[in-house]
Amino acid sequence: MTALQNIEEIYENRGGRARELRDAGKKVIGYFCCFVPDEIITAFDMIPYRIQGSQSDPIDEADAFLEPMACPFARSCFNMALKGEYDFLDGFVAPHSCDTIERMYHIWNSNKPSPFNHMINVPHMMGPSSDAFYKKELQYFIVRLEEFSGKKLEADKLRDAVNLYNRRRALLRELYELRRENPPRVSGTEITKVLVAGMGIPAIEHIELVLAFIEEVKQRPQPKPDGLPRIFLWGNEIDDIAFIKLVEECGAHVIMDDLCTGSRFFWEDVGQTDDPLDGITRRYLCTHCPRSLEPQAGNRKEDLENRFGYMKDFISRWQAGGAIFYIVRYCDTCELEGPDLREYLNSLNVPVLMIEDDYSTSTMGQLRTRIQAFLEMIG
Amino acid sequence: MEANGQVKTTAVKGTDTAREVRALVKKIYSAAHEAKAEGRKVAYIMVASQYDEIIRAMDIVPLPTENYAGLCAAKRDMDRFLLKAEADGYSQVLCSYARIGLGFDSMRKELGHIPDGSPDGGMPVPDMMLGSSAVCDPRFKWFQATSRYLAAPTFGIDVVAPPPQADLSEVRDYYIKYQRDQLQALVVFLEKQTGKKLDKERLWEAIRLGDRAWQLWYDIDRLRVAVPCPMPSQDHFSIMVAGHYYTGTQIAVDFYQKLYDEVKYKVDHKIGVVAEEKNRILYGGGLPPWHTLWIFNYFESFGAVFVIENVYRGFDPVEVPSHVKDPIDYLAWRAFLRFTRYHDQARARSGNPTVEKLLDMIEDYKIDGVVFHACRSCRATTIGQTHMKNELGKYSDLPMMQLVSDMVDLRDYSEAQWKAQISAFIEALAARNRQ
Amino acid sequence: MPFAGIDIGSTMTKVVIVDEKEKMLASHIGPTGAEHRHLALKVTEETISRTGLRFDDLDFIVATGYGRINVPFADKQITEITCHARGIRALFPGAKIIIDIGGQDSKGIKLDAEGKVANFVMNDKCAAGTGRFLEVIAETLGINLVDMGEIGMKADGFVQISNMCTVFAEHEVTSRLAEGAGVAEIVAGLHEAIAGRVVNMTRHLGIEKDVIVTGGGAKNAGLVLAIAGKVGFDVLVPPEPFITGALGAALVGKDFYGRGVRPAGERKFEEVKFFS
Repeated sequence: MTALQNIEEIYENRGGRARELRDAGKKVIGYFCCFVPDEIITAFDMIPYRIQGSQSDPIDEADAFLEPMACPFARSCFNMALKGEYDFLDGFVAPHSCDTIERMYHIWNSNKPSPFNHMINVPHMMGPSSDAFYKKELQYFIVRLEEFSGKKLEADKLRDAVNLYNRRRALLRELYELRRENPPRVSGTEITKVLVAGMGIPAIEHIELVLAFIEEVKQRPQPKPDGLPRIFLWGNEIDDIAFIKLVEECGAHVIMDDLCTGSRFFWEDVGQTDDPLDGITRRYLCTHCPRSLEPQAGNRKEDLENRFGYMKDFISRWQAGGAIFYIVRYCDTCELEGPDLREYLNSLNVPVLMIEDDYSTSTMGQLRTRIQAFLEMIG
Repeated sequence: MEANGQVKTTAVKGTDTAREVRALVKKIYSAAHEAKAEGRKVAYIMVASQYDEIIRAMDIVPLPTENYAGLCAAKRDMDRFLLKAEADGYSQVLCSYARIGLGFDSMRKELGHIPDGSPDGGMPVPDMMLGSSAVCDPRFKWFQATSRYLAAPTFGIDVVAPPPQADLSEVRDYYIKYQRDQLQALVVFLEKQTGKKLDKERLWEAIRLGDRAWQLWYDIDRLRVAVPCPMPSQDHFSIMVAGHYYTGTQIAVDFYQKLYDEVKYKVDHKIGVVAEEKNRILYGGGLPPWHTLWIFNYFESFGAVFVIENVYRGFDPVEVPSHVKDPIDYLAWRAFLRFTRYHDQARARSGNPTVEKLLDMIEDYKIDGVVFHACRSCRATTIGQTHMKNELGKYSDLPMMQLVSDMVDLRDYSEAQWKAQISAFIEALAARNRQ
Repeated sequence: MPFAGIDIGSTMTKVVIVDEKEKMLASHIGPTGAEHRHLALKVTEETISRTGLRFDDLDFIVATGYGRINVPFADKQITEITCHARGIRALFPGAKIIIDIGGQDSKGIKLDAEGKVANFVMNDKCAAGTGRFLEVIAETLGINLVDMGEIGMKADGFVQISNMCTVFAEHEVTSRLAEGAGVAEIVAGLHEAIAGRVVNMTRHLGIEKDVIVTGGGAKNAGLVLAIAGKVGFDVLVPPEPFITGALGAALVGKDFYGRGVRPAGERKFEEVKFFS
């Protein structure tokens, strides 16, 4: 079996490996978003599992618990939980990422409690006092995990976990480097499978897969230039290939992203600090998400540069000819961020298509005209 | 049993004191215009950010942008601002308060002056914008977006509350410390903007006035346990102006004292909102439908009165330990105690502080039914209502109903649908009365 | 050298054939059925028959509209946004903004100095601001869709319709009727509401002269008038608003051909069998 086939199997059968590990006696801790440090869970010898939704299944049972004007990603995740698809979790951890996920914690906790349930408050503001607070929240999380596991956290184990995840981060960046080729030998659809597959298996196993996959991609012949537009994706949760596949089918290469299911969760390393928790705190608080507020820096232009400047490199080094925003409907902070980011990218001469979607493959076809027209426009 | 046609009037049986609120609202905006003319600082703010008294103590004139959105809706002059924000690229599902604010700021920038005929003279360009993460996400993010339309310095603070399951003895110190650090950072920012130091004595005075007003407001709500109900929800949605938009001023204290006296008189003389009070309703949550507040009168035409609300008076009075000697520390402590007021009770029963609060209200206020208002563009006050209904249902068999529209966007409201839903609800109440 | 454009919309299928000088040789409009491929074929055949040409004579065929993927004999599938822009540019060289009100969606398109698409907006996936919305309300009011423009223009003022959700708006219209509002004033109110929504969406692009209104909605003179009112100046309407997309598709085909693009592979122009 090729590495890609392996990855596809894990992608299709999400949770399968976690269930196996659980049956073998491991504890699996589910969590939302990218503010819960994998390193801490791993240092307890538990399996971190990033909770995903299902774009292809209708949201039915969740409506009896959750209003339809809530983020459809969160609704979908909870719908799966109600159907028992997350019964394998030993723990459920919700960071206070946004209003909806915070509310999700209470609703999930009341209706589908796991043996271990916890909420981590994540500061919306960024600055020294926010770091100090978040570190305290992580320490409290550790205390709760110590109670749950009956084990003390060993500093060495935490340091090892930091190194392990930094290794994975470096590999994923290496994989992303391959996307700089024109045309790329690896598609955005494949990348999504690689990343999503990694959300539900131990990092050490994911590392092996990514290594093998990179080798495979390097063996592929260089395709002929095709002149297709190169697209940078910005948005939140894309844990299904459907949308990216649609963009690629319309005639484009998806070559770079700033998504919380993409570069955001692995781009920056955890810094080496005397207390590993300091590095972890810093790294996770700096995760780019519109729900975090950068203090205002200078005038409007300087402020936009301060907020979005990191994407300049993504645009230029990956030679993006256009950007598509994929916003899961009802995400207030994304809805407020989108127009600002569009202004910034337009100032870099990058055309933008802003899409608001219901996180559902059944309605995605309606986006085809918009995407195709955008590609015709920039092509 | 269709009600008589005259339901579109404002409450005639509400309190007289509540009628004075209109002038208080007008004064918010006229005061800001005066301040601008005199060169004093004006700030866009988010009320209930736990910093309210600091603003007053530093002589900054507050402009509550959310309230302005509600005002526009109550005046039925919101569409042009909503449409402007949408034309500027903001989604129709984004918080409609934010859409009105952004649309207003965009129009004012484009025109070079306040849009003609803006309710209560409109809002002047602020000298600064102060967001906070208290209550919801748009409240810290909105002003960042507003910087597209105006160049005022912007600052945001975190307002944090632990989840009910947290061991308060473990987390208390660092929650309070963070709250303190955040408030202190705001003070530094304000000192830079105003060029003067915070006078801690003045802050203590503002806190004393703020606490006094909120104590009186609490006392007024406690009077409303009386049968018949002396003050309806319509009044609540106006009189909250004093507690939120005049926090830390003598105006709020005087207003609530007067209102207290009036409500007390009504209780003593058994003067109710309606002649025959058949049912007592709890407004279980959600921002009110500012565009159609007369709907409460429609309920009353069936003898159903809204007697208490789970919105706006978000906290009961709390007692900060006497060892707290610094006013910023006091604010941080007060915030923590306010937010954790129902935590112990929640851990002992439902696990949910809001459910506890509602259950207390149901008992104390002899409630016959609960109504929620889901707002299509407000995540923070809407998500969790269904859950709340489910949880309440475990401890109570009262009829409950969720009406859906939006706090200001009329496009999400259907009168026909509401009336049909309300009829069914009234029937359920009647059936219960017969039992 | 003939080029064909086929626009499969949600209610109508439109075919236009042009020659290399961009002269229209023939056009034809037929209903879109559940089986797009079958009808596309029929309408195309009918159009070709009017030119005296044979199918093999067509040098390039472009399909557009929401049913464009279901045309097996098209050489390329291009979105209606690009095609409308191309068609309108041929008809109105000074066009800057296009407002297309179709049966299932509405769009605003901004053209750059060369007449190419500079930006566009599409309405969300609800019927508001579309022909379908008018159709539903026409049914509620018991009038014919085609008469709505005339009826609305006879109104003395208009009744405010605030709900753009089709179901809610139906309720609202019923209530207004019950309150004694006139049909003409309600229709005028609907035109106001749709115009307001579509123009507001288009404002994002920056509205400037000339503004062209096209698509089925442009057949409704009352709606066009309301749009002009919102825009603040006169708007232009093509002589046959239904076919601008198909015309544009034919011209896009001609442009492709001119750049040396040739049909790739064999066209499947045999009678398409249902569900085969």
